[in-house]
Amino acid sequence: MNPKKSRLLVIEMIMIVVALVFIYPIFLVFMNSFKTFSEVMSNVVALPKHITVANYYYVWKYINYPRLFINNIIITTLGVTGIIFFGALASYKLSRTTTRYSWMLFMFCITPILIPFQTIMITVVKVAKILHLSNSVLGLGIQYWGFGAPLAVFIYHGFIKGIPKEIEESAMIDGASPFKIFHSIIFPLLKPVTATIIIINVMWIWNDFLLPLLMVNDSNFTKTLTLAAYTFVGQYTTDWQYTMTAVVMAVFPSIIFFIVMQKNIVKGLTAGSVKG
Amino acid sequence: MKNNKSNLGKIVEFGIFVLPVIIFVTITIYIPFLLSSYYSLTEWNGVSRASHFIGFKNFSNILNDSDFKAASIFTLKYCILFVVLTNGIAIILAVILNKKLKGVKVLRAVFIIPYIFSLVVVGFIWKFIFSQGFAVLAKITGLGFFNWSWLGEPKLGFISILLVTIWQSIGFYIIIYIAGLQTVPDEMLEAATIDGAGTFQKFKKVTMPFLAPSITTCVFYALINSIKVFDVIISLTAGGPGGTTYSVTYDIYREAFQNNNYGYGTAKAMFLFVAVLIITAVQLKYFKGKEIEA
Repeated sequence: MNPKKSRLLVIEMIMIVVALVFIYPIFLVFMNSFKTFSEVMSNVVALPKHITVANYYYVWKYINYPRLFINNIIITTLGVTGIIFFGALASYKLSRTTTRYSWMLFMFCITPILIPFQTIMITVVKVAKILHLSNSVLGLGIQYWGFGAPLAVFIYHGFIKGIPKEIEESAMIDGASPFKIFHSIIFPLLKPVTATIIIINVMWIWNDFLLPLLMVNDSNFTKTLTLAAYTFVGQYTTDWQYTMTAVVMAVFPSIIFFIVMQKNIVKGLTAGSVKG
Repeated sequence: MKNNKSNLGKIVEFGIFVLPVIIFVTITIYIPFLLSSYYSLTEWNGVSRASHFIGFKNFSNILNDSDFKAASIFTLKYCILFVVLTNGIAIILAVILNKKLKGVKVLRAVFIIPYIFSLVVVGFIWKFIFSQGFAVLAKITGLGFFNWSWLGEPKLGFISILLVTIWQSIGFYIIIYIAGLQTVPDEMLEAATIDGAGTFQKFKKVTMPFLAPSITTCVFYALINSIKVFDVIISLTAGGPGGTTYSVTYDIYREAFQNNNYGYGTAKAMFLFVAVLIITAVQLKYFKGKEIEA
C-alpha cells in the first residue's frame, strides 16, 4: 500500500470515530425512548432489556399526535404553496419590467430580509389579532406568505433575469395571455430554483418555534409538533422515557423527509446559499 | 386613445402579478415594523388600549438596564465564538469530506442530520445528554469533564449552548464549504504540488481564493443566526443558571411577554434591529472587499 492511500485510510478511520461521537446523542435518545423509567434511571447507555412501545402509545395519545401532524402538514403546505405561487408571480413581473418603480417595488419586497423577526414579533401578535389570523392553523399558514416572500422573491428574481426573453416573446406574438405564458412557459422553467425554495421553506416552517408559540399555542387543537414537544417536556421534566419519546416523535417526520429528499436538500441548501 | 388603454391594461396586469406579495409583506412585516417604531416611544403594557407617549425615555432606560447589558454581552461573546468556531470546524471537516474517502456519502449525511431538527428539540436532546448521559459516561470512561455541571455553572452553561448550536448547524456550513471546494481546479492543486508547495501552503495560496465567496456567505449566515439565538436557550437552560444565559432576543421576549412591558420591549427590539443592520453592513463590506483583493 502506498503512503498516500494509507494516510487516507487513517483519515477515514478518524472521521468514522468523529461521526459516531457526533451522532451518538441521537442514538442515545432513540434508545431510551424504548425503555421504562427505572431502566433509564439505572443505566442510560445500556441497551433496553426488552423493547417496549408503551412510551409511544402513551405520548401518542396524550399529545394527540395525529392532530399535531395534520396541523404541521396544513401550516407547511399552505405556507410554502403561497410563498412559491405569489413569490414566482411577483418576481416574474418585477424582473421583466425595467422601470424605476419596478426596481423600487423589488427593493420593497426584499428589504425585510434584514429585519429580524424578534424586532417585530410584539406587534406582529397585535396585527394578527386584529386580522383574526391568530389562534388558527390556517391563519398561521397565511402569515408565512409575508414572512417567506422576501427571500423567495430575491432568489426567483435573480434566476428569471437569466432566462432569455425571446421564449415568451414568440408566445406573445401567438396571442397567449400573460397568465398563460407564466403558467405554461415560465413556471416550468423555474423548476430547479422552485425546488430550492421549497426545501428552504419546508425546513424552516416545519421546525419554526417562535411564531407558532405566539400564534397557536393557546389550544391543543392548533399546536404544532415542536410546540407540543415543548409543552410536553415542560410538564414531564424528569420522566425522561416520555420526554425522549416525544422528542423522537417530533423529529421522526424530519428524518423521513431527509431520507427521501437527501439529494435535493443538499442541492437546495447549496444553491440557496450561493445565490443569497 | 388605444395606446392609453393598453397602458392601463399593462398597469392592471402588473398589479395582479405583484400586488399580492406587496400586500402580504406590508401586513406581516412593514405594518408591525412601523407600529414597533411607534410603540418603542411609548409606555404600553399590551393589555390596556392606551399607550402613553414618552419620547426616547425607553431608549435612555436601555442604556442603564443591567439585564439588557448582560444579555448583550452574552450575545456578543456567543456570536464571535460561534462564527469563528463554526466556520473553522466546518472548513476543516469540509476539506476532509472533500477527499476521496470510501464512506464519504454516509459521513456527510451524518453531519447534516441535526440540522433538519428543530432547535427547541435539539435543546431537549442535549438537556438529556448533559443531565443523564454524561453522569453514566463519567463512570464508564473515568473522564472528569463528563462530571462537570454543564448546565449548572454559568461558564459551562454558556459553553453548552455554544457546543449544542454548533453541533446542530455545522452540517449546513460543511455543505456550503464542500460546494466551494469543488470550484477549486484540480490542475492548479497539482501544479502547486509539482512546484513543491506543502499542504498548508497549497490551502492558503490555491484553495483560499476559491473559498472566499463561501466564507462570505457562511460568516454572514452564522452572524445573523447567532445574533438571534433563542430556541436552543429556551429549551436547554431557560436562561439559567442564575440568569446568566439570557440572549438579547430572549431578553426582548421576556420583557414583552412575561413582564408585559410591551413598549419597553419594542424599544429593545428596535435596538436589536439597528445592531443587526450595522453588523451585517460592516461584515458584507469587509468580506466583499477581501474577496476582490483575493
